[in-house]
Amino acid sequence: MRMRTLLAEPMLHFLLIGIALFGAYRWVSPRESGGTRIVVTQGVVDDLVTQHVAAKGREPSATELSHLIESYVRDEILYREGVKLGLERDDIVVKRRVRQKIEMIAEEDASTRTPSEADLSAYLTANHERFVQPAVLTFDQVFIGAVTSGPPMVYAAAVTRDALRNGADPEKLGQPTLLPHRMTLTPADLVARAFGPSFAATLERVPVGEWVGPIDSSFGAHYVRVSARTPAIAPPLAAVRDRVVREWENERRQRARDDAYARMRGEYTVSIETKPPTQRP
Amino acid sequence: MPMRQLIVIGTVLFAVACGGPQSAPGPQAPPATTAAEPSTAVQLGGPPTGAGTTTADTGEIKPADPTTFYKKPGYSPYAGRNYPERPYFGDEHVHTAWSVDAGGSGTTLGPEEATRFARGEEVTSTTGQPVKLGQPLDWVAITDHSDMMGMITEIKAGNPEMMADPTIKRWREMFNGGPAEAKKAVMELVAAQANKKLPPIASDPRFAKSVWAKTTTIAEKYNEPGRFTAFIAYEWTSNAGGGDNLHRNIIYRDNKDKADQVLPYTTFQSENPEDLWKWMTEWEKTTGGKILAIPHNGNLSNGRMFALTTFSGDPLTKAWADARQRWEPLFEAIQMKGQSESHPSLSPTDDFAAYELWDRGNLTQTPKKPGMIAGEYAREALKNGLKIEQDLGTNPFKFGMAGGTDTHNGLVAAEEDNFFAKFPSAEPRPDRWEEDAMNFGPNRIVKGWEMTAAGYTGVWATGNTRAELWDAMMRRETYATSGPRMIVRFFGGYDFTQADATRSPAVAGYAKGVPMGADLPDAPAGKAPTFLVAALKDRFSGNLDRIQIIKGWLGKDGKPQEKIYDVVWGDKDRRRIVNGKLTPVGNTVDVATATFTNTIGDPELVTIWKDPDFDPSVRAVYYARVLEIPTPRWTAYDAAYFKIKITDPKVPMTTQERAFTSPIWYSPK
Repeated sequence: MRMRTLLAEPMLHFLLIGIALFGAYRWVSPRESGGTRIVVTQGVVDDLVTQHVAAKGREPSATELSHLIESYVRDEILYREGVKLGLERDDIVVKRRVRQKIEMIAEEDASTRTPSEADLSAYLTANHERFVQPAVLTFDQVFIGAVTSGPPMVYAAAVTRDALRNGADPEKLGQPTLLPHRMTLTPADLVARAFGPSFAATLERVPVGEWVGPIDSSFGAHYVRVSARTPAIAPPLAAVRDRVVREWENERRQRARDDAYARMRGEYTVSIETKPPTQRP
Repeated sequence: MPMRQLIVIGTVLFAVACGGPQSAPGPQAPPATTAAEPSTAVQLGGPPTGAGTTTADTGEIKPADPTTFYKKPGYSPYAGRNYPERPYFGDEHVHTAWSVDAGGSGTTLGPEEATRFARGEEVTSTTGQPVKLGQPLDWVAITDHSDMMGMITEIKAGNPEMMADPTIKRWREMFNGGPAEAKKAVMELVAAQANKKLPPIASDPRFAKSVWAKTTTIAEKYNEPGRFTAFIAYEWTSNAGGGDNLHRNIIYRDNKDKADQVLPYTTFQSENPEDLWKWMTEWEKTTGGKILAIPHNGNLSNGRMFALTTFSGDPLTKAWADARQRWEPLFEAIQMKGQSESHPSLSPTDDFAAYELWDRGNLTQTPKKPGMIAGEYAREALKNGLKIEQDLGTNPFKFGMAGGTDTHNGLVAAEEDNFFAKFPSAEPRPDRWEEDAMNFGPNRIVKGWEMTAAGYTGVWATGNTRAELWDAMMRRETYATSGPRMIVRFFGGYDFTQADATRSPAVAGYAKGVPMGADLPDAPAGKAPTFLVAALKDRFSGNLDRIQIIKGWLGKDGKPQEKIYDVVWGDKDRRRIVNGKLTPVGNTVDVATATFTNTIGDPELVTIWKDPDFDPSVRAVYYARVLEIPTPRWTAYDAAYFKIKITDPKVPMTTQERAFTSPIWYSPK
């Protein structure tokens, strides 16, 4: 059972393929076997040309190509000399880079699987509150003022209400404000971002088609007319498929990274030989 | 109906001023071949390549051209109102673990985590702390260093090559020498990049492609038109002469299909911005897409960001000025490494210029020499640009204002009470204020408390899409904030009256004037420019102290001048002008508890201001600065939260958050 689990492990597949490729590479390019001999094969040159085209959108000139090759050789030599001196060991920058690579391998591994419909449905069901489509609101607002209580505000609200009921142009009522006078087909959470959450929540409840108020926002008191509203819904998968895929993939990616670490951590015995805190300088 | 009359008048006025309505190119039109040619025409909304069409829900519109906003007033008062109704807040400058200096300093959050965080999701920071933004951003541009994007990994090729260079030996010892030494090693890494002493393998393009494709895939995945925009972007990190900060963020208007065609430009190819502009020209030709560049940290450029010579020290030419104006419509005036809007030594009469200054050296803290500061700050450049325009015919420094964080831990947390700083070592911790934020040797130190919790960019776009936001950036209809999401309007024209300041400023603003970032039309005989300026506080932050209009102009002697006008302020009843200065708004901050009350200042300010000193024969530039009342700085929140005493009198415990708008320019006929 344990062996079968291990054999089903994609990470193992990856490593085995890697080792096989590495072996094959060594076998087909025996001339490039390290030491003090460097052979720049046609394959390497083609690769340099391809990369140049990717970066500049054109083939390198003869001078550029010889520069690229020289740079490749220099990389090789300095790298080998560095490794000879053991410079890659215990280097925190190299360590972190290698750590990033191995984490990315784990993540890549997770991303090779596309989610099935069943995966996505299950994910949506388990996380339905994250995918609720907020109510969509269209409304006009008249800003009564920054003060939300007291006699002057009550008076101003009454004046505004009467004017609105008598058919006055809402554009000409209330206090000047940079807040939008109208929001069209706007999700309630974006209304909340502009006016505050309690204001948005109230707009989800008030009757549609009439001026109501005063309603408090983060800025003061308002009269509001909601002219259209579709309520919040728990959407079917088809309506939020892209988002579900994205969240599913992200979670899987992070889990793959953590799982890979947990698995590797399990292979190690770690003893932390630190002094008790009181003995530290 | 007076409003409709105004609209008609405004439309006619603009039709005249603009030489009639311009036909907008269709969305499928390839970029005109003139895309590469610099624009010299003074046109509303900036250079023609920027004000392209958009495919908003409302159909194809040309956002910057007010003549399209009001065609014929019909029955519906809302029909045709296609001007930007709200600013979209975002950060155009974010580094993640995929930038080598960030990854090397321990950052584990990659572009995907950084994007999720900007959207308002909770993430776990590198140091294991759960963190979430107070308010989600509307958009973000992840700008990992292009120089390093290739280095990080090439997994599938299984290439064993990594950095191997004698320098690394020293870094290794330092990294193993404890946290203080490790931090020094990161500083050296930054310096090595600045000094072109990185291992040669860093420039190897073999590693690059897959990482860039991964980056653009992530942006694509999280880009949701109408809700959240994830730009494709990168940073070109030029540190000329060993740390003179000439960095540029490159922002793409297009999607992955175009972005993947060509790899980002690196400073291994060139450190000269002129070569970057050439590359951008080529890029647009090759892909048919559009990109722009945003320079930042003039304050760390040791005089080079706005130098009055070219990169190689030659006199400026018209072609140079054309190219700079064409490719660099915005400048990042504030971020975690201080502000680059104004400096007290350049603006001695400005009582608010001494704000979040990093003015001792360049990126590696190589000390400044006298005279360098004049080439570093936005205001000085805006003024000098007028002179260059007079001499050469083009203003190279015709830029608008942007704000970003430049965070290196993937967290765009620029809120004072939620400040996660720049590197993992400076994430919330009791000691972070007194440690060294940067240490390049004796007298080349920046302390932790000097870090600035800033900033964001407000973009007046017609909708939240890549194309609409980008177009607004290109026409400079943007402003920088030190963090709060205040709403700021700024319009210039010749006919604004106080009546326009009473209701819906934008209606009058677009009908009778031009928005921030644009040019005033020619002055009618006997008229002076009038400005409609308005600001609304961030609902979570302090009230507003005042709005100022800053005017720069060219004196009769050809020397640039500036003057700051307080144009509207809070607590009008109790504040006076004494000896030409507005009395201070006061201070309600209780530093011990890191609290304040909004009992002073006003939540919203609006006014019309007419330039009292206008001379129609003189070039001028105007922009607005909005100041909040004093509120607790992040250092005060730290002290209260960690129960520590910050007694060093140098450490500011309060701040006056602010916004700077893009300017409006006036040029004589």
